[in-house]
Amino acid sequence: MSTTLQPYLKAVRQTLTAAICLENFSSQVVERHNKPEVEVRTSKELLLTPVTISRNEKEKVLIEGSINSLRISIAIKQADEIEKILCHKFMRFMMMRAENFIVLRRKPVEGYDISFLITNFHTEQMYKHKVVDFIIHFMEEIDKEMSEMKLAVNSRARISAEEFLKRF
Amino acid sequence: MILLEINNRIIEDSLTLKFNNAAAGNKPEAIDVTIADFDGVLYHLSNPGGDKTKVQVSISLKFYKDLQEHGADQLIKREYGSFLTTPESGYNVSIVFDLDHLPANRDEVIKKAGLLKRNCFASVFEKYFEFQQREENSQKRAVIHYREDETMYVEAKKDRVTVIFSTVFKDDDDIVIGKVFMQEFKEGRRQFQQAPQVLFSHKEPPMELQNTNAKVGDNIGYITFVLFPRHTSPAARDNTINLIHTLRDYLHYHIKCSKAYIHSRMRAKTSDFLKVLNRARPEPKNVEKKTFSGKTFKMN
Repeated sequence: MSTTLQPYLKAVRQTLTAAICLENFSSQVVERHNKPEVEVRTSKELLLTPVTISRNEKEKVLIEGSINSLRISIAIKQADEIEKILCHKFMRFMMMRAENFIVLRRKPVEGYDISFLITNFHTEQMYKHKVVDFIIHFMEEIDKEMSEMKLAVNSRARISAEEFLKRF
Repeated sequence: MILLEINNRIIEDSLTLKFNNAAAGNKPEAIDVTIADFDGVLYHLSNPGGDKTKVQVSISLKFYKDLQEHGADQLIKREYGSFLTTPESGYNVSIVFDLDHLPANRDEVIKKAGLLKRNCFASVFEKYFEFQQREENSQKRAVIHYREDETMYVEAKKDRVTVIFSTVFKDDDDIVIGKVFMQEFKEGRRQFQQAPQVLFSHKEPPMELQNTNAKVGDNIGYITFVLFPRHTSPAARDNTINLIHTLRDYLHYHIKCSKAYIHSRMRAKTSDFLKVLNRARPEPKNVEKKTFSGKTFKMN
């Protein structure tokens, strides 16, 4: 199972590096406005073909590009109830702090757990290869964090049950 | 700490302070403290009638009527006999200590005072344990509404005593975490043969409560403890009561701890991510440069 992780991340990295070529583009529809075209989606000629990279049915990444912005949506592996609520809590926690995170979107795209929005302004202020590094690092760490939290809950349950029952 | 304490520390500490004060011969001071405990129980430490030489400890339990049906009064009399007095208004039981005539076994008395709540509960269990020891079936089931929406049922059969707790999970996430905990409790018998059997039913009441009007709902769970003769025997009785009566609080305490732990982990991870993201920003270059003719200027 983990043998698919490295090729998966490599594919995501390469697609991101290609898609993150963004340039400034003022809105064609409204004067003096500058909007991320991937969000607005009014002019079809400005949008690139969306690409989905799937590791399996549950884990996938959707990359939608446009001329001045890039949207990345990630669906995280949630095998059981407790992973579902942990994922849900964690994503909500981060999305509430989206302002600090700059590239994070406040709401995930339908069907996914978390979304990032990168605009040309971000790429002007930050190194592109480092932003891609961050996204890949994020994807790796999330899985690790979720399994650790699940382990923590399970071990707490086991220890408290043990302590309680051994006293009878 | 993993297990909850069954005695009330605040009462014990306050009384110890007062008793030591009196024993040292100092002038007693006034005391008026209201303390809250689990399950909506209130204690009140005061000087009855303004008399500073007497300290009164009163306890109020919303469900005391339910407990009285099962002999709580007799048990309280048995435990606190000489210290009992008429209950303060608004409270169910009051015991009073005379600082001028301190009892000989001070520490023991203080410990007993700290166990007021536990002793109120104990009567129900003792009655049903008696039934089981005599190998009788209890005719009626004991129903104690010890919390707003939560009830405890006790029933005795010839070879076992069944204690059922109904508990409400206010939050949806609590249900999932609660299930994980109950799964571990259920499997406890594999490791500890002496442990009672634990069953958990989510949403619906268990078989034993089928025809009663027990609550049904998405966020309601029923925890059943089956206590065997080795738990209800006179030797093990007190220990069993100590452990069982705070079960619901124990479970919810640990659920809350898990949530708090998860929260602190999320916080740490988020700041971790922020650090990595900030690496993507180039460092501001503040270079001082000099021209050929000697003028210096700062580059930004």
